[in-house]
Amino acid sequence: MDGALLFQSVVLGLLLGGLYALLAAGLTLYFGIMRVVMIAHSAFLILAAYLAWWTHTELGIDPLLSMIVTVPLFFGAGVLLQRGLLSRLRPMTLTMMSVLLTFAIAVTIEGLLGYAFTGTQRRIQLGYGSASFGLFGARIAVVKLIAFGLAAVALGGLYLLMKRTRFGWALRATIQHQDAARLVGIDTARIAGYGFGLGLATAAVGGTALSLDTTIYPSLHWHWIGPLMAIIVVGGLGSVPGAAAAALILGLAQSVLQIPMGTTWAQTVFYLALFATLAFRPQGFFGGRLAQRF
Amino acid sequence: MRNVSRWATSGGAVLLVAALLLFPSVAPNPYVLSAGIVVLNYAVLSTSWNFVGGFTGYISLGHGALAGLGGYATGLLVVKAGLSSFLALFAAAVLVGLVAVPVGFAALRVRGASFVIVSIAIVLILLLVFQSWASFTGGSRGLVVPRPFPDLSRPEHHRAFWYLYSGLLALALLAWWLVDRSRFGLGLKAVREDEDKAEALGTPTFAYKMIVFVVSAFFTALGGGLYALWFGDLDPVFQFSILSGSYLVLMALLGGVRNLFGPVVGAVVVGVALEYFKVSFGDTQLHLVATGVLLGLVVMFMPDGVLPALAALVKRLRPDDSATIREETAEELRDRRLANAGDKR
Amino acid sequence: MTKSLETHELRKTFGGVTALDGATVKFRHGRVNALIGPNGSGKTTFFNCVTGMIRPDSGTTTYQGQDITRKTPHAIVRAGIGRTFQLCRVFPRMTALDNVLAAVRPGGITRALLGARHPSEVDRARSWLTRLGIEHLAGVEARNMSWGQQKLLELAGVLNAGPETILLDEPAGGVNPALLDRIGSLVRELNAEGRTFVIVEHNMDLVMSISDHIVVFDRGRPIAEGTPAAIRSDERVLGAYLGV
Repeated sequence: MDGALLFQSVVLGLLLGGLYALLAAGLTLYFGIMRVVMIAHSAFLILAAYLAWWTHTELGIDPLLSMIVTVPLFFGAGVLLQRGLLSRLRPMTLTMMSVLLTFAIAVTIEGLLGYAFTGTQRRIQLGYGSASFGLFGARIAVVKLIAFGLAAVALGGLYLLMKRTRFGWALRATIQHQDAARLVGIDTARIAGYGFGLGLATAAVGGTALSLDTTIYPSLHWHWIGPLMAIIVVGGLGSVPGAAAAALILGLAQSVLQIPMGTTWAQTVFYLALFATLAFRPQGFFGGRLAQRF
Repeated sequence: MRNVSRWATSGGAVLLVAALLLFPSVAPNPYVLSAGIVVLNYAVLSTSWNFVGGFTGYISLGHGALAGLGGYATGLLVVKAGLSSFLALFAAAVLVGLVAVPVGFAALRVRGASFVIVSIAIVLILLLVFQSWASFTGGSRGLVVPRPFPDLSRPEHHRAFWYLYSGLLALALLAWWLVDRSRFGLGLKAVREDEDKAEALGTPTFAYKMIVFVVSAFFTALGGGLYALWFGDLDPVFQFSILSGSYLVLMALLGGVRNLFGPVVGAVVVGVALEYFKVSFGDTQLHLVATGVLLGLVVMFMPDGVLPALAALVKRLRPDDSATIREETAEELRDRRLANAGDKR
Repeated sequence: MTKSLETHELRKTFGGVTALDGATVKFRHGRVNALIGPNGSGKTTFFNCVTGMIRPDSGTTTYQGQDITRKTPHAIVRAGIGRTFQLCRVFPRMTALDNVLAAVRPGGITRALLGARHPSEVDRARSWLTRLGIEHLAGVEARNMSWGQQKLLELAGVLNAGPETILLDEPAGGVNPALLDRIGSLVRELNAEGRTFVIVEHNMDLVMSISDHIVVFDRGRPIAEGTPAAIRSDERVLGAYLGV
């Protein structure tokens, strides 16, 4: 195998893994907060990508600027989703019913996108879209690096928020033990809502990053939800660092395996990892205690 | 209560049999009959789904793909292995039942969330494989399955499949009913209510879930295989779709997962609605929106389904109902106590 | 060999917290045993390990001379150990009768396809409801029953599984004094019929009045054991409770 080609795949894999990690962090947050498998996460991702594309083609400004609107918008949507819908489901059947509810939201978003923008494939044409630079013989597109940078900054911000702020402390307490958190005076209901908002805000950032160099269409979210689900299971449901590690490793594996297997078959690595994890180590490879019961 | 539900079950069975026998004669044209078969197919699949969903409370979004696998397996066994149509159908269902074993092993050892994730993954994997492995499956061009009755005219063909589907539906309902009243079924319901507790009362929960999952996959594959023989043309995009799997969930949920006939009722309602959406929204994506909104409404406001909602309404309209129930139970108890009085203490 | 439930060096940690720290305990058959100790001393974790609900990091559990450490919870039930849960757990949307019927008795699995309401099964289940004084609730869904009734129902279910040994996790938690007396005398009755009990309980009056043998846990291991009288006068026990 060509060394430069391999190196290029590794770099691209890491860049892709960064985006996966950001999105998986959102999914992990939802799961940690209320044991919800949020199917609509990737639909919101595509929605954000469409909004970025629309900003660029209709308003003629840089798609990155769309985040000024989409990030707060998605944050609000996340809070509403949690407070208005998910928290009203019966606790006993919450895990299952929330899957259906978020699935319904995903399908609705897909339908609305198809209705508003038709099923045509869209792509942003950027001035710097074709720019690239060489690195030890590999060619890396600038937009991919920007996408990775966005993901890294967002993930880093999330990390600092979780570890360094009072809100992060309350959120982590809520995730670890809801009742205990309530006992020490945390308004867990509100914190849970903000946690969802935060999770959905990662989808806004991720979607904008995605739109920079990807062709988008309404049903694209199905191609994302499978890998993301696999990542959070392999990472151990509920563990953010676990999800990030799994995202980087699987993103890398997918990218490298594309050389011998082709793009389509390389995707199977996610599902193989998913099945192997569940069959041999159901609590995940990096994971927390939560996963054992789910 | 038990008596009431027994009457409802018998009444439902009589009604269903009558509808199944009469529909082909009253259907005004072959189009209506074929639309009826589509609904019947949904009824079979949704009832099959309900073996897992109704008893254990585990929600699978992947049963559409299991049906697709049954369809492709049937088609491939006919086309590539030269089996006769109905032998292929049966063999395909057994095959899918076998495939369900490792899937269940991964999905059922842990709790609900992983199960849902695996069920979604199954759809995506199968779609990937059947689209990409074109030399074997026909890929995106599809797979043409020869008809089992080449001599029949189109209306006669529909009519024959209507009755085949009716038989299959009856079989699936009978199996569900038998499980429902068995100790096995009680164990599964215990899993639905509280899995740890069920285990602590001696129920081998993993084995129970596994068995019912395989049974469910078997019936689902029979439904999918019959569809392949009837429709004669398979396309991976439609066979392995999460959307079709979600229709089955919506149907069962809307009708009521704890009722024998819930999924059938749901299949009729949703099946007709889907047909209506298709006609009125045409090529736009609004049918997706309609499906999503409907599913969301059911989950939020009617998670037990319309049949239980109706039952509750009937109960409210008959205020003396609860009194009679209690009297009956008390009477039974008095008998029991008298019978027990001799040997206890 | 005397029949007993024994653990050897059971150890279990959650993250950095040690819940069981080499617990070696022996509960003799035919007794009412009590397991007491301050909150967080590992009593419930001990129950969970013994009944297979969680797997200990190391150590073994033997029952009647048979190693049951790695058995699944349902297999442990079949081996003869039943349990209740700390916050009583019943099947909320099932009737009281079905709650009791859901218990799998020895050999019950081979008859899984039998009708759930086979007359002989129903008779047995009803006789347990009668014994616990809740037969009038047979047709009521468990979620519509009071807390005390649910506790009795849970016990009826466990008894219907036919275990020789029953682990009760805080049977007195949240019940009124009248019911407390009833639970106490019930335990003694069932013990007289040959059942062994291990009871985790904070209500010392109940513990002292019904148990033959008491084991005291502190920080994941036993620190004292003996008759109620001996335990009452043991200084280490006082120390553990008062943090001296």
